[in-house]
Amino acid sequence: MRTVVVGAGMAAARLADDLVARGGEVTLLGDEAHPPYNRILLSAVLEGTHDVGAIGLGLRPEVDLRLGTRAVEIHREEREVELADRSRVPYDALVLATGSIPTLPPIRGLVRVDGRLHERVHAFRSLDDCARLDRAVTAGARTAVVVGGGLLGLQVARALGVRGLAVEVVEGGEHLLRGQVDEKAGGILARDLRRLGATVYTGARAVRLTEDGLVLDNGYTLDTDLVVLTAGGRPSTALARRAGLEVRRGIVVDDRLRTDDERVFAIGDCAQHRGRTTGFVPPAWEQAGLLARHLAGEEVVYTGTRSVARLRATGLDVAVLGDPQTAAGEVVEVTNPIVGSHRRLVVRDGRIVAGTLVGDLSRIGLITQHYDRQTVLGAREPGLLLMPDRATAEVPQRLPDDAEVCSCAGVTAGRIRACSSYDDVRTTTRATTGCGGCAAAVEQLVTEGAHA
Amino acid sequence: MTDTHCPYCSLQCGMTLRVGSSLASSGQAGSSRSRRLEVRERDFPVNEGALCRKGWTATGLRGHRERLTTPLLRDRATGELRAASWDEALDVVATRLRTLQEAHGPDTVAVFGGGGLTNEKAYLLGKLARVALRTSRIDYNGRWCMSSAASAANQALGIDRGLPFPLADIERTDVLVLVGSNLAETMPPAARHLDRLRERGGHVVVIDPRRTATAARADTVLQPVPGTDLALALGVLHLLDAAGAVDEEYVASRTTGFAAVRRTAAAWWPERVERVTGVSAGELRALAGLLAGAGTVTVLTARGAEQHSQGTATVLGWLNVALALGMPGKAHAGYGCLTGQGNGQGGREHGQKSDQLPGYRMIDDPAAREHVARVWGVDPESIPGKGLSAYELLESLGTGSRALLVFGSNIVVSAPNATRVTERLAALDLLVVADIVLSETAAMADVVLPVTQWAEESGTMTNLEGRVILRERAVTPPDGVRSDLDVYAGLASRLGSTAAFPTDPEEAFAELRLASAGGRADYAGITYDRIRAEDGVFWPCPAEDHPGTPRMFADSFATPDGRARFVDVEHAGAAEQPDADYPVHLTTGRVLAQYQSGAQTRRVRDLPDDGPFVELHPMLAARIGARDGEPVMVTTRRGSLRAPARIVDTIRPDTIFVPFHWVGANRLTNDALDPSSRMPEFKVCAAEVGLDTPSLVPRDGYSTNEGLVGRVASASERAVVGRVASASERIEIPAAHQRPGSGPTLGSPGFEARFSHTSTTGETPA
Repeated sequence: MRTVVVGAGMAAARLADDLVARGGEVTLLGDEAHPPYNRILLSAVLEGTHDVGAIGLGLRPEVDLRLGTRAVEIHREEREVELADRSRVPYDALVLATGSIPTLPPIRGLVRVDGRLHERVHAFRSLDDCARLDRAVTAGARTAVVVGGGLLGLQVARALGVRGLAVEVVEGGEHLLRGQVDEKAGGILARDLRRLGATVYTGARAVRLTEDGLVLDNGYTLDTDLVVLTAGGRPSTALARRAGLEVRRGIVVDDRLRTDDERVFAIGDCAQHRGRTTGFVPPAWEQAGLLARHLAGEEVVYTGTRSVARLRATGLDVAVLGDPQTAAGEVVEVTNPIVGSHRRLVVRDGRIVAGTLVGDLSRIGLITQHYDRQTVLGAREPGLLLMPDRATAEVPQRLPDDAEVCSCAGVTAGRIRACSSYDDVRTTTRATTGCGGCAAAVEQLVTEGAHA
Repeated sequence: MTDTHCPYCSLQCGMTLRVGSSLASSGQAGSSRSRRLEVRERDFPVNEGALCRKGWTATGLRGHRERLTTPLLRDRATGELRAASWDEALDVVATRLRTLQEAHGPDTVAVFGGGGLTNEKAYLLGKLARVALRTSRIDYNGRWCMSSAASAANQALGIDRGLPFPLADIERTDVLVLVGSNLAETMPPAARHLDRLRERGGHVVVIDPRRTATAARADTVLQPVPGTDLALALGVLHLLDAAGAVDEEYVASRTTGFAAVRRTAAAWWPERVERVTGVSAGELRALAGLLAGAGTVTVLTARGAEQHSQGTATVLGWLNVALALGMPGKAHAGYGCLTGQGNGQGGREHGQKSDQLPGYRMIDDPAAREHVARVWGVDPESIPGKGLSAYELLESLGTGSRALLVFGSNIVVSAPNATRVTERLAALDLLVVADIVLSETAAMADVVLPVTQWAEESGTMTNLEGRVILRERAVTPPDGVRSDLDVYAGLASRLGSTAAFPTDPEEAFAELRLASAGGRADYAGITYDRIRAEDGVFWPCPAEDHPGTPRMFADSFATPDGRARFVDVEHAGAAEQPDADYPVHLTTGRVLAQYQSGAQTRRVRDLPDDGPFVELHPMLAARIGARDGEPVMVTTRRGSLRAPARIVDTIRPDTIFVPFHWVGANRLTNDALDPSSRMPEFKVCAAEVGLDTPSLVPRDGYSTNEGLVGRVASASERAVVGRVASASERIEIPAAHQRPGSGPTLGSPGFEARFSHTSTTGETPA
């Protein structure tokens, strides 16, 4: 059975790998010139913390990977995909993994007469986008405006900041990251960004790009070398729509990830399952894994994925569990504006159903475990989870006589105090003769004893 | 005065035994017939005179009142064990073995050995099985100990020697990473090396779900979810690659297979690792940064990484990290496994493993069979093929094999899913156990054979460094006991075998040398005298004029092409994951004062025997209403254990820990096996923990008994307030969780509790 996948992004790569591992035949049709790579690490590449050579996802050699090919039509009757060069690729099963396309905000002057972006304007979706922006930075750009204060916008803003540019962030909503977090969290993020040297405008929309700079609707004009658009994306559905498949916000799929054509499937950012589209890798990969099993003949049911969104940017700590803006439940919240942390857990029936962690990720490894496993917590636990890990250890003034000092030999402070010297301790109690960890304490106790 | 070694762990600390002139004066148990034996300090390179309390008190077992001094036979009429003569006991065993084999074939007899047996005993036990019993069914408890590391090292490096360098080398590495090792408790004298390493500016990293005594001596501690060490390794490799820290020249010239490993690691970016492992992306980055910047890195794994259904893959994952950094073969760097049992290393080299012949030869290799058959004076064809691995062997009892001979193992306590294993033992027609005391396993036997122990017999052991050392006989054994070697010889002759079964250890060793010659673990050049003169000899040592091999891999690896192999491994996770019914991870391990199944140490009066306990975090304790020192009940799909709670903030709050030295812990553990090493998943399963009397607490766990919950919770809350004192914190407590007066600080009535302290940070309210 030949599976053809339109797209060669992260979901497609995962699916192809899983399929060939099960002995399937797979063709990937990718419109970018690069083999599959880890898109979510692009901002880290820009920032310089990730080597660009290390973001390739690689594919097993059995995968038929065709790069620089654009699918333009699906002929469902003939079970063929038509490419831009009019050639056709037959399929037994077709998977749409077309991802999403960046939204172009309504700013005049972004696009030139020939339809290309203005030379100062950058998108940030693909490796080519990243490379072009990197070249501009390397060529000496000093200032940048990032349009969009979502996860990607903040990552790019930080990346450019780390690279030494003066960065301004323009967000149309009232606070940063408004799709994910509440105003308090957004406020703390804005403060953090400012502390790190960026300028943040919220409730301000860019309307026009002129020779003087980017004009905002609040009257400011931001003179800048670069404008980076990160104002979100939408599922790429044009191909599916033309083929007459059911499309709402994304390509509608059932619990087997199947569209209304039983031979056509959709996974990743372009798919809409149970009314939801996502923009994250974990659901895309879970879908890819399940679909590979389904195409190999297994019975599978996809019920949705618990999401944890993480911001990858030096100096900004953000994690968003589920949808804390809309999840129903009781709220436990700790805000510390002085250190700049805001943490909020939405709890229902003792289970964490959503959460926001900004500025303090000290317990993230535990909180996400409880969230993913839907652990039923005790009454105080959600509150305790938001407390700092441990108090500063109190150093007792004097060890009680029954305190064990040497665990290797099982010797108490009292027995050591009764000894006349360090050597006496060694020979009569064997303390210090095992792992040696108590040597300092023994020294101290012997001295104490001598002075007593 | 006799120079010898400690009877317990794989460190095999040197010690001197001195026969005292009078009876016990300080409470040591001693029979009126045996003079007091004393442990004295001995300057031996592994421990430099240091010993832990197990070593210092090792003579406590000698002449213990529970010591067996006569064979026991189970009386068919009464079902009780009765004393018997050696001849009667061995005759009964031989006759019944022969009858069973005549009726059901040779494999109806199975043999189970141990990683505590000397090399001589392990070697001759394998020979007894293959030559005298002609059974393929032989394996040993080391399968539950180091087999995952062995399998991984064989795949990646072409050879399996716990440490390919002397232990003291770790003092001179820049960064030491301990994955799943609590050596400060399990082999305390080894912890001295950590302190010296840090004194010279090195950095110690400990990876363990519990902040152990070893973690207390580390600079960096990561506490992953049990069963996720492989994901952590993949995450580290991902970041090393991202940072350009892979030693490309080494990878190109000394290894193969990196491309596939790099591809797999590419999918493990830090935030994905964080979600799987519970180790934050920040901590992971810090670790990777540390490794990337270090000149030398040593990675050591132990049972915490290995006792998993993906244990081999986990070790390979960490080996991949070490290889990517270009460390194996470099001075004061590389990868090693901290073996566990006293002769965990040697025990697996000389033929008590179901798939191996002496010298670490594979049993399905015709050349290996040819060589060993020649030494044994038998037809190569007569040597049986591959048998079953330890747990599979035990599972087959009653249905496959009807008789089992056990030497040096207390299966009832140490096997996973112990209830099932005990059922299998009970289903046998004949169970024969050789031991020094009536262990839990011996108590089930039809025939119990009392054997000599440490200090009463000589023999070589191979410690965790691959150093072959000599335990020397220091005292005469009590009347009535015989050495395992005598038992083998007695059985072999009764079974009609004409092959040699020497009863003198040095003679047995001479034969072992021949059998191992040319194998991977080549002992041909090692003699008792050399061991005495050279503080042990490191294998391989193919000739008497060969200096032995303290350090391996400097020029090449033990693979056919001399290159190390990167093996592409992917994280799958533990076989059993927590769910609504069994919501926490259970992990198991050791405590300082006990060793293995405790058959020896639990009987030493000077070692505290407090019984099992259940370690849990205050948050979890508060959830279930547990109080320190009071009993809780742990339940898994396989069994339950009631034991006192030990409430500590050093364990992950989603994990509980139970030590395995007592009957109980292994009734809980999972018998899922690693596909390659056949190692059971001792280190993680899903469990439920609750109060022993659940009716006291409502089902939702929100106790109305405030006194019960309040104690622990309020203590941690008080501690917490001190830290955040200067901030204006707002804590909103879910209305449903409100209970008037439920705590001194958090639970004040109303939806919010507002903290508004004016004091400075760091002050803890009295």
